[in-house]
Amino acid sequence: MAGQSAAIIESKDAYFSYSGDGEPSPALSGINFSVKRGEYVALIGPNGSGKTTLLKLFNALLIPSNGEVLVKGISTTEEDKLPEVRRSCGMIFQNPDNQLVATTVEEDLAFGLENLALPVSVIRKRVKATAALLGLEMLLKQPPHLLSGGEKQRVAIAGVLAMEPDCILMDEPTAMLDPAGRHSVLNTVHALNRNRGIAVIHVTHFPEEAALAGRVLALNEGRVVADGAAKKVLTDLDLLHKIGLQGTTAGELAALLRLGGCPLPSHILNNRELVDNICTLAQNN
Amino acid sequence: MYIGTEQLTHTYMPGTPFATKALQDITFSLQQGCFALIIGPSGSGKSTLIQHLNGLLKPTAGRVFFAGQSIGSDKQALLGLRKKIGLVFQMPEEQFFAETVYDEIAFAPRNQGLTENEVEERVNNAFEKTGLQSASLLKRHPFQLSAGQKRLVAIAAVLSLNPEVLILDEPTVALDLDSRDHLFNLLAQLNQEEGLTIIISTHHLDHVAALADTALVLKQGQLMLAGSLDEVFSRRKALYEMGLSLPAVTEIMHSLAERGLPVSTCVYTMQKAKQEILAAKKRG
Repeated sequence: MAGQSAAIIESKDAYFSYSGDGEPSPALSGINFSVKRGEYVALIGPNGSGKTTLLKLFNALLIPSNGEVLVKGISTTEEDKLPEVRRSCGMIFQNPDNQLVATTVEEDLAFGLENLALPVSVIRKRVKATAALLGLEMLLKQPPHLLSGGEKQRVAIAGVLAMEPDCILMDEPTAMLDPAGRHSVLNTVHALNRNRGIAVIHVTHFPEEAALAGRVLALNEGRVVADGAAKKVLTDLDLLHKIGLQGTTAGELAALLRLGGCPLPSHILNNRELVDNICTLAQNN
Repeated sequence: MYIGTEQLTHTYMPGTPFATKALQDITFSLQQGCFALIIGPSGSGKSTLIQHLNGLLKPTAGRVFFAGQSIGSDKQALLGLRKKIGLVFQMPEEQFFAETVYDEIAFAPRNQGLTENEVEERVNNAFEKTGLQSASLLKRHPFQLSAGQKRLVAIAAVLSLNPEVLILDEPTVALDLDSRDHLFNLLAQLNQEEGLTIIISTHHLDHVAALADTALVLKQGQLMLAGSLDEVFSRRKALYEMGLSLPAVTEIMHSLAERGLPVSTCVYTMQKAKQEILAAKKRG
């Protein structure tokens, strides 16, 4: 146990097939990968590549048909330990409406804690602290359905956070949000990762969001096709294009400009890097 | 003056303590054959406005017009209107109910009392337009399709009515890039080759901006900006203050212009950006 204590999640040669006809190949094939405490991993891949399935394996919503998934050293097949697995790996879905259950924000944050049968005083304290951390104090008495999309998603994150998780699993958490909502959710999650050491696995279709992660894992047809630093995976445009993905706008534009004879470096990921590099080139002319 | 509104106001749950003004005094008109974006943060009234354009909601005040006529509340007239103005809801695949893709697409034309031969022609025609490969898909259960395929089937189900106007509420939510590009190519083709008027509500401007010519910007139920895409997107600061952001490529051009590079900022595609930057470098 001690030697691997830093790994929150480990997937050892995990396979998964949805039982049912018309599925020629498994949804996941031989996934080997582990996430350490405090890591921020973006999970990318085209529709149907197995991203959501993999996320569900980590939360024991699905159990591998072959191989093994360990959460803090506990196999997800150990049914009596599933509450602990799910407490330590909380899931945020794409649509917050699917996971907000109570009639007020306050009750929603308390829902998971009540199910842990914690004393009321502890619940009150945690709800208050979590709300303060995510800037939701003013919303505690509000019914969730009257909140904006970004607010709802932050309430969903708070509900998971109140459980004091080691890892937050997020399935396209910003897909339904407007730019302001996206920013607030991304800022919130990155701050939790930085300041509290909570590991994050973030499924996204937005290359710009993946670029904010420390590490990027790319899936295609149920297999891991790339795993490494964001700078490395997201600038490998050949690989991304081959599996039907794109790099960041800045990265793609830099590649086009290189083809047009601009000697820009190949590691450009974000707008600032691109603008800085172009301006430097223009000055040197 | 093809489709639009005059001083349209909509209040949800009027006369109750929960009354909310979703739209206030909205006046605009779009030309036939345009490709318009309705942009605004969540809760700004985009979906409410769209539902008015197809007569699903009744104005609290003001009017909605189409092809020179007010959209009234006469049931027969509304049925006729909805054949001409097709509406694709957000996450439309969540409303699938038929057993096969064919039946899903055939639902609306069948409801119009067409013969089964005419229905078949409509279904095949609409299915073909979406560029979905292999006719065997028509026999499958809609839930067996991929997310991108489902979205295209939902659009085919509306195209089967042969509409003049196609309105889509956040059509690319939760699609991957390939599916999104396919969808946008389809919309561009319908707009350019078949002359359909396309109206899209969205807050992801990144790729759709290259297709559109007109934009309306809503905030808290009010029309804040309206005009050509170039006019609206030149108001970067105003958009930013409303919690909206320009397409990433346009944003890059603005940053370059601010740093003194002589580039146009009315740029919505990578190719145009490349041309502009290379030209500016030569001039510089």
